[in-house]
Amino acid sequence: MRAIAPALALGLSLILSPLTARADMVDDVLDQQILPGMMSLASTASQLAEVAQADCRADSPRLRQAFGATFDAWISVSHLRFGPSEADNRAFALAFWPDSRGKIPKELAKIIAEAAPSIDQPSAFASYSIAARGLYALEFLLYDPDLSTRGTPETRCRLTRAIAGDIATTAAAIQTDWQHSYAAQMRRPGDRYQTKAEVKQELFKALNTGLQITADMRLGRPLGSFDRPRPNRAEARRSGRSLHHVELSLQALQPLARALAGDNLELAARFQTAFAQTLTATARLDDPTLAGVGDPGSRFRIEALQQQVNDLRNLAATDLGPSLGVTPGFNALDGD
Amino acid sequence: MKSLILAGTALTVFAAGTTAVLAADKTAVLENYSNIAEAKYQDSLATAKDLQSAVETLLATPSADNLMAARTAWLAARVPYQQSEVFRFGNAIVDDWEGKVNAWPLDEGLIDYVSASYGGPSDENTLAALNIIANPMFELSGKTIDASTITPALLEGALHEADGIEANVATGYHAIEFLLWGQDLYGTEHGAGMRPWTDYAVGETCTNDNCDRRGDFLKAATDLLVSDLDWMAAQWAESGDARTTLLGDESAGIVAMLTGMGSLSYGEQAGERMRLGLMLNDPEEEHDCFSDNTHNSHFYDGKGVQNVYLGEYTRVTGELISGASLSDLVAAVNPDLDSEMRAKLTATMAALGALKTAGDNGFSYDQMLAQGNAKGEALIMGGINGLIDQTRSIERVVSALNLDGVAIEGSDSLDNPKAVFE
Repeated sequence: MRAIAPALALGLSLILSPLTARADMVDDVLDQQILPGMMSLASTASQLAEVAQADCRADSPRLRQAFGATFDAWISVSHLRFGPSEADNRAFALAFWPDSRGKIPKELAKIIAEAAPSIDQPSAFASYSIAARGLYALEFLLYDPDLSTRGTPETRCRLTRAIAGDIATTAAAIQTDWQHSYAAQMRRPGDRYQTKAEVKQELFKALNTGLQITADMRLGRPLGSFDRPRPNRAEARRSGRSLHHVELSLQALQPLARALAGDNLELAARFQTAFAQTLTATARLDDPTLAGVGDPGSRFRIEALQQQVNDLRNLAATDLGPSLGVTPGFNALDGD
Repeated sequence: MKSLILAGTALTVFAAGTTAVLAADKTAVLENYSNIAEAKYQDSLATAKDLQSAVETLLATPSADNLMAARTAWLAARVPYQQSEVFRFGNAIVDDWEGKVNAWPLDEGLIDYVSASYGGPSDENTLAALNIIANPMFELSGKTIDASTITPALLEGALHEADGIEANVATGYHAIEFLLWGQDLYGTEHGAGMRPWTDYAVGETCTNDNCDRRGDFLKAATDLLVSDLDWMAAQWAESGDARTTLLGDESAGIVAMLTGMGSLSYGEQAGERMRLGLMLNDPEEEHDCFSDNTHNSHFYDGKGVQNVYLGEYTRVTGELISGASLSDLVAAVNPDLDSEMRAKLTATMAALGALKTAGDNGFSYDQMLAQGNAKGEALIMGGINGLIDQTRSIERVVSALNLDGVAIEGSDSLDNPKAVFE
């Protein structure tokens, strides 16, 4: 017996090692998802600012490509609206959407008409209305038929560079905070988070927030009602990115749900299946701007996709919360 | 004021593990909460009736003084109502009704004349410049609407949220506010709406046309506000629906209280109402934008949150209602957390108090919103930061009270995300 015990123990430890060696859940999410995601946001945004300096024409393929890469990076972390992205209202500055009162085109038109010198001062531009800053404003400048041709090319160019530079500054600030302080606060609860459970709750809230934005806003806003579909409300429809954002967000949320399921393998498998099915349904839609909301023939497929996302939300609420031992808490989307 | 983005934060409850003693305490807490709700809606009703009689006086005898008296009555009516907003989230009966009385922001061109700079119909809202007061007959979603007689039924039926657009607000405090003050054309300068009293004058003195129809609109909207508040006060009476629902499941009731506190603090007030307006530098995003009363609205919203935790409310008559509170429940399980929660609420009220004092002394909220106004930004951000910070403690309270496991009976949108699309 004594002789084989160490061997057995060794054998067991080998079998268990993939599990026991796996990083702590929070470390895992930080190292595999959040920190690389923020790094990618900062680097694509910095690239965008550089490209805009070199070529600021609205139809420049390089500029549009850099814009797309930055937008992709943002959407992939847009569910992480706490800490560094909440500080100094950075997420608002990077991504003002939905713009239900049409402030973005109004503000941009005003700025182009005035062509004030302060556009060129990064610190002054940072005090501008969020309607004229961030990725959604830049989308208008690059893709909206009216705004991409309004005023003089020179003014539009200055504004494009100002917005791109401001996006890069904001993204860098978020990334720096994560790298230098916020990740550590999540790894070692004490001040901002009093317990490990509060950290897990924050991540759980991020998952719920992401699913909620996708179901209620990315899909729900254009869906409107059957009698009154609202295709013009689709997110980033001018650049044809509406459905792509749904896909990116699901791709970002899938590993988060998987990580939060932790050792609850049965729940992890259910998430895996449900996300895979939802992503398949997304890929099959073939409707980049979700314009199909207005056509009864295709509308039901978008509604079905929304239902799948809501099913994911329910799975998180009924099973993941209790599995983690946390309550859903509050998020920025509460309220009207 | 339902929208697509409610939902998601349904808090949850479990009764297991709570002792019989605690259950008894919960009943007392819920009863006191219901008493406070009833008192706030009764006070809202009483002050709305004062407004109603001031409006009647204005319409019977239009004058500058009588318009001023109606405005004063409106401002007084906001004090108890704003303190009741904390009942919205978590109590479905309130949330489903709220859009009738406090819908905001509005495209005021639906109702009456506006300045040339307002613009015409927008992509989002083809009715943004309809001007019902000037048009007794108009097309709406392919149907002809007869608005030759302006009645409460017309406002709440065909017009409110017409075409499914939330900004088409035809009823409630803010429609009345617009009718009393008119558009605030000062932008981010000091100054509120300057509607002349002659907008309600008879005969040749009448300015901006259709004074009789404008008066009818004001009267109908005020009468409707009174009847809506009357209904809500009754829901909180001894056998009213709101009270019996709340007391029907005690743990869910406690969660409803906390949901109201957290959702109002964070998503609604700190986010939608304060931060968004600040970041847009946009006075149209002011909650009480025609009257420049936003500093008071924010202050009394915050006060309502504190009221719920402390279980006390000072009525408009000065009478104090006070009783068993969430604070008592928390102190029994975690006194440190109770102190933390109280301190956070106090800090928020100090910040909102500074905002209110500045506003009362002539630094108006739209000035604070102006691009580059560092002092204003600091005042508003002070309130926002307090509200965000207290929300974290509210989450801790939810955990400390072991409210975990059973879905809340909250608003439609809280526990049934599909419902908001129907």
